[in-house]
Amino acid sequence: MAENKGFNCIGKSVAASGAWEKATGRAQYVPDMKLPGMLYGKMLRSPYAHARIVNIDTSKAEALEGVKAVATIKDTPQVNFGPMGTNEDWYIFAKDKVRFIGDEVAAVAAIDEATAEAALDLIEVTYEELPAVFDMEEAMKEGSPVINEKWPDNIASQKHFGQGDIEAGFAEADLIVEEEFYTNEVYQSYMETMCALVRPEKGSRLTMWVPIQIANKARLVYAKALGISPEDIRLIKPFMGGGFGAKFETNIHLACAVLARKTGRPVKMINSRHEDFAAGNPRVPIKYRVKMGFKKDGTCTAKYMHLVGNNGCRTVYGPAIMSTACYRIDALYKFPNVKVDGYLTYTNTVPTGCFRGFGNAQSIFMIERMMDIAAEKLGLRPEEIRKVNAMTPNFTNPHGWRVGTCGLTESIDAVLEAAQNRPKTEVSPGKLRGIGMACCNHVSGNRGFFPTFDGSSSLIRIAEDGKITVFHGECDMGQGQDTVFAQIAAEELGAKFSDVRVAEQDSQISPWGLGSYATRGTTVGGNGIIAGCKAAKKILFEEAGAMLGVDADQLDSRESIIFWKRRPEKSLTFSEVGAHYVFNHAGSCIIGNGYYRTGDPLPDPKTSYGNVSPAYIFGCHMAEVEIDTLTGHVDVVNYWAAHDSGRPINPTLLRGQIEGGIGMGLGWALWEDMIIKDGKVLNDGFLDYRIPGTVDMPRMTTIFIETDEPNGPFGAKGIGEAAINPVAPAIVNAVCNALGVHFNELPVTPARILAALKTRNKHQVI
Amino acid sequence: MKIPISLTVNGDKYDVMVSPLSKLVDVLRDDLLITGPKKGCAEGECGACTVIMDGKPVSSCLVLAPQADGKEITTIEGLEREDGTLDPIQEEFMNSAAIQCGYCSPGMMIMSKALLMVNPHPTEEEVRDALSGNLCRCTGYQQIVDAVMAAAEKERGGE
Repeated sequence: MAENKGFNCIGKSVAASGAWEKATGRAQYVPDMKLPGMLYGKMLRSPYAHARIVNIDTSKAEALEGVKAVATIKDTPQVNFGPMGTNEDWYIFAKDKVRFIGDEVAAVAAIDEATAEAALDLIEVTYEELPAVFDMEEAMKEGSPVINEKWPDNIASQKHFGQGDIEAGFAEADLIVEEEFYTNEVYQSYMETMCALVRPEKGSRLTMWVPIQIANKARLVYAKALGISPEDIRLIKPFMGGGFGAKFETNIHLACAVLARKTGRPVKMINSRHEDFAAGNPRVPIKYRVKMGFKKDGTCTAKYMHLVGNNGCRTVYGPAIMSTACYRIDALYKFPNVKVDGYLTYTNTVPTGCFRGFGNAQSIFMIERMMDIAAEKLGLRPEEIRKVNAMTPNFTNPHGWRVGTCGLTESIDAVLEAAQNRPKTEVSPGKLRGIGMACCNHVSGNRGFFPTFDGSSSLIRIAEDGKITVFHGECDMGQGQDTVFAQIAAEELGAKFSDVRVAEQDSQISPWGLGSYATRGTTVGGNGIIAGCKAAKKILFEEAGAMLGVDADQLDSRESIIFWKRRPEKSLTFSEVGAHYVFNHAGSCIIGNGYYRTGDPLPDPKTSYGNVSPAYIFGCHMAEVEIDTLTGHVDVVNYWAAHDSGRPINPTLLRGQIEGGIGMGLGWALWEDMIIKDGKVLNDGFLDYRIPGTVDMPRMTTIFIETDEPNGPFGAKGIGEAAINPVAPAIVNAVCNALGVHFNELPVTPARILAALKTRNKHQVI
Repeated sequence: MKIPISLTVNGDKYDVMVSPLSKLVDVLRDDLLITGPKKGCAEGECGACTVIMDGKPVSSCLVLAPQADGKEITTIEGLEREDGTLDPIQEEFMNSAAIQCGYCSPGMMIMSKALLMVNPHPTEEEVRDALSGNLCRCTGYQQIVDAVMAAAEKERGGE
């Protein structure tokens, strides 16, 4: 358990930075921005899943009054690019052919939105339909239509690796379980759709205001696509209406840049909600065939997985997600012998990408269902089979992942105890109740996502009034990263929290941060903040030491006052020292420039062996459901979530992350599903694709299992993705528990439940 | 062709020329630069654009601009007093971490205000019912519901 180190700011639930701006309506998001001379852009998207473009005639659209430009592939450098270096299969606009319904064919800039929309109808595109393939397994078969010439077998990536000896593992097993699973395609449903505002500057330079989780990496990709240098792009990330993994590179940003360049005027483009459903970056759906061996006591002896994921028609981050799905769960349980064959295929459907959980959420659904199925066969309780296999602290897994702190077993015990203490309620007639649990793990800062380097940095400026500005290049998309960074900075500097501000992310001034993914913000980003603070504090203390006539190392600081440790009354304020420094250095502020590197060499690309993360996070959830046997409706009536996220930096925000993850996972478990027919998303709006609302959510109990992670800032680890990972299996396990039926496919809809009830009743009759 | 309308937003009267088919949300956001109300779907499914019109909450994306002619509109910007004092709802949303990304928050707070105007002492169930059409993807709603309950409590204390 973490000891109380007498923190000033760590562990306090301060209000989130930006909350006042958001609470008063002042916060400006990209869709809120309007610049002088600004034009409105709209995208023409393909109505065909796979078709050759014979001709595009833009003349009528260009002739429409108020239209300033129509852009197609001809207005771009026509180079292949993409988020992943292994699969550069993008163009800004469709070149020669379209690959999915929603593919970017052309874009219009006009004086208002209505004119731009009217112009879209005037663009005449002649298509010649091509045979298309939509099913991820079908796509791999001989003779399937080829979607990308460089990948004639439609296999975007594959992974084959293992550790230990699975044959020996299966040989020593008392029980072999073989099952199939499917995790479906779901949409992140951030409230702000994808959008961009781009202003052309002198020469080839551009200023882009975009909500994006990986500002600096996107700059590299966008520079390549546009044929300019990364520094030609000034990228500003203002307030951002959620991301959840979706807001990575997207063509709407580039189309907007092309229009801005072509018209010489600022252009704003916003996806309609329908467009966002059709052409966002939804979750990679995965089909699993799994075989596992167990001893009588539940110990797993071997695990073999065969999985296929759907990449859609071009690559966002599918290969990395599929690879994650192959083996990240091997740090949740101690699997001695593992082997996996993973495939990711191209289909004529919307490109899939990151969604909170990044492949691990999919595999955790699979493994947590497997655990319940195996437990039932072995006559064990769900917690027994989990505890016997559970990851423990200071353990190196078969892939060389070095787990440090790990509160998994404590998490299991905590939710069990909380659930046991729930008030007992009578179950109404016609209703069935069930309870289920699921464990989770996640990385906190996956290394190798950006192969060039890994780590984080910050600039910490202390001005002449002693106020502190934190510059970082990560990304607050609403999850509270800026708040956590401000708390870390205040703690490290010994400053008043109210004196710390976090600068808006702007590539012109912010450090080159990698951004928000892999639950890395708190752990990796937080260490980057500490490094910058240490550098600033060194200058601050040296200046103060000179002013006080005391050695710098004899000083300490608290609440923005620097004092001599031996005689605390001998002190100076940050503002006194800041002013002295600034005015004696011709206006130069105290600036700390520091960085944190995650260390180790990256895992071996072939064997995947090597430590991938500085820290690992764990948790366990339990859900109680009540099922209406007449309608098949599932009501989640109780929910408990315990997490080891190291030392909580801001407990209220941490709780908010967990509750939000539960909400998102609840929708996935029970009804969220992108219904895609012949490549078309049929339910492309919130009326037909419902996400949980206030009345769908139970009251949730969250429990923190505090650990003191040596690699985390002040012992902290991340939370974001871990919060969703166990939700769907916990709820589905509860449903299975209530009905005595197994569901291995998401989502478990009322229709599926009613169908299962029918067969169950039949069996009972027999 | 455009037609003139005049509407009062947060106490200020505006005369605007609008296209008869344009929506109130676009008049507010694009013409008046009152960008508190957000556009999450433009079809009345998400609640982000909720404003109070003549005392009742409406999705401003479903209100034709001419329907707002002569009406009194309150947006999130209007909850703050001129001296900068915030409405208890705004205070509690900040304190309870009911705001994460903030995109649903203006609609969520306006809907909460509309509820407390007619029902100052709601039960948790009534709060959940009132907010059932306002989508939030960040919070799981618990901290939002708690914030509304706390705001109601605070206002009661001030009575």
